[in-house]
Amino acid sequence: MSSIIQMHRLSKVYSLGESQVHALRSVDLTIHQGEFVAIMGPSGSGKSTLMNIIGCLDQPTAGEYHLQGQRVDRMRRSELADIRAATIGFVFQGFNLLSRTSALENVEIPTQYLRRRKLTESPRSRAIEALQRVGLQDRMHHVPSQLSGGQQQRVAIARSLVNQPSLLLADEPTGNLDSTTSEEIMDVFHNLNAQGITVVMVTHEQDIAQHAKRILVVRDGIIVSDTAVVK
Amino acid sequence: MKFLLTTLRTALRNILRNRMRTLLTMLGIIIGVAAVIIMVSVGKGAEADINQRIGALGSNVLMVRPGGSSSHGVRLGADSWQSLKLKDIDALKKHCTQIAAVSGLVRANGQFVANGTNWPTNMEGANVEYFEIRQLKLSSGSFFTERDVRTSRKVAVIGATIAQEVFGDSDPVGQQFRFGKQPMTVVGVLASRGQSGMGGDQDDIVIAPITTVFFRIAGDSHLNQIIASANSREVMAAAQEEMTTVLRKEHKVRGENDDFSIRNQSDILEAATSMSRTLTMLLSAIAAVSLLVGGIGIMNIMLVSVTERTREIGIRMALGARGIDILLQFLIEAVVLCSLGGLAGIALALSACKVLEQTVGMNTILDITTILFAFGFSAMVGVFFGFYPARKAAGLNPIDALRYE
Ligand SMILES: Nc1ncnc2c1ncn2[C@@H]1O[C@H](COP(=O)(O)OP(=O)(O)O)[C@@H](O)[C@H]1O
Ligand SMILES: [Mg+2]
Repeated sequence: MSSIIQMHRLSKVYSLGESQVHALRSVDLTIHQGEFVAIMGPSGSGKSTLMNIIGCLDQPTAGEYHLQGQRVDRMRRSELADIRAATIGFVFQGFNLLSRTSALENVEIPTQYLRRRKLTESPRSRAIEALQRVGLQDRMHHVPSQLSGGQQQRVAIARSLVNQPSLLLADEPTGNLDSTTSEEIMDVFHNLNAQGITVVMVTHEQDIAQHAKRILVVRDGIIVSDTAVVK
Repeated sequence: MKFLLTTLRTALRNILRNRMRTLLTMLGIIIGVAAVIIMVSVGKGAEADINQRIGALGSNVLMVRPGGSSSHGVRLGADSWQSLKLKDIDALKKHCTQIAAVSGLVRANGQFVANGTNWPTNMEGANVEYFEIRQLKLSSGSFFTERDVRTSRKVAVIGATIAQEVFGDSDPVGQQFRFGKQPMTVVGVLASRGQSGMGGDQDDIVIAPITTVFFRIAGDSHLNQIIASANSREVMAAAQEEMTTVLRKEHKVRGENDDFSIRNQSDILEAATSMSRTLTMLLSAIAAVSLLVGGIGIMNIMLVSVTERTREIGIRMALGARGIDILLQFLIEAVVLCSLGGLAGIALALSACKVLEQTVGMNTILDITTILFAFGFSAMVGVFFGFYPARKAAGLNPIDALRYE
């Protein structure tokens, strides 16, 4: 199995005037293609910081980060943007859909930022296909305010899939959802993972984490435990 | 291309989302663009009016008036007002190489009587060259001839107003009339020339051979004016110099104390043109300032928009948008906003010019270059004032933008 994420002595320090916050302290982490990883830990332990760096939204202050064999920790903003467009799908706790914009158009957004890789199908048909994958083909023309939380999150997942990424990142995807809906979202993740997409998600709910195949626990910027889930 | 189209659609949607705000923001641009176009159109109209007056006068026309110019502050004796004589015309004809035609001019007031109608008017006595110099055209009949001038024949060419007022629908050519006590015959009717620049009726006129007016009507022998046309506009100055030399010799003038003055009508009108041009430029500049103020309004609203949509910017960046994508999105939005304002401004200017023409009778010239220029300028305003907010948006950190509440 080849590794998709490889981090070596990765640190992130936030400077707030005089004081410094060590959000990540010399983290070593390898995640292989096709894994389903849950990251747990108390609030403020550095989970989101780690996710943002994995997702190329943020840069580490020290250490090395290889994504699909490419060293990304020294890349320019525009190069990181291209990687986000082509390789990474993001799902957020707060859905982050554009309001007053239909589900279909929301899902289409990433297609206009895909430059490196040309997909054969048209943006429209890719967006429709992505919505079908999350079971929302009959809600395509609804705007976010007309959709339930679970449906909105599924639109967000469809949006993260539309450029056919190899890595799906989800920061507390079920944080705003009730348990039944959370289970539905986990089913979607299961299916995607079964189709070969690497999934990394942050959660603080033990039963949600149990859906993953591997659980990391972060505390004070350090990975304190790394266990495989036994089913 | 595809990207531009998508961005354009997004921009249009965002603009349409806040209709009221969009309209208020665009108002500055609308008024600015309209003001620029109206000012330029009115200015061009005024300039065309003046140019038409030059054309009406004949562009190469030089006028000699009796009496020296008062530029030296010396008032000359009363007799200097009678300094121009018929023989001056012969001398000018003989010695000047740069003038194409020259004619004397005497005026006499009187009553034009015919058909039982009394019509008070002006009679001008002139040489045949006068028609050429003033570029007069006939609507019927003919001009009087050299022979008529030599023999002081009692014939006249009349203007369209008199023809209409006195003779009505019947053809005046060949008809008899009296001017003062003198019975005369109409030989020609001038084509209408309408109002003069000063508002006078140019068609209320009778033109007779200069000798006829001298010997049969006015009874004295000094000219009110000599009018000449230079060979071309370029040799005006040379022609003027020649005429001065000839007339000085003829009048035995010593030094600079001329008893005549030569005016170059097109110079005066050129000065008027340049004055109107300066005024137009000034007014257009003021209009352009209002466009600038409109641009600042655009910048303001774009800055507000960037702040309001910080989260959207964060989302787009997380989904793979580069800084340049965000920059273009906001820039295009500003340009679309300004261009729409520009279009509305053009429409406003078009109707305003119509109104000005129909109510005040102001001549306005609205050409496509002005419109294109104003439209291009408003788009430029969009680029200029949209750039700062757009750059601000593009420079946002994706994480901070995503976290923005
Ligand atoms: N932009 C920032 N500036 C300063 N400190 C930050 C910033 N982002 C996160 N932190 C700090 O870094 C630590 C880790 O934060 P985070 O990764 O968001 O934790 P988690 O997601 O596990 O709750 C926290 O102490 C937080 O206060
Ligand atoms: Mg967090």
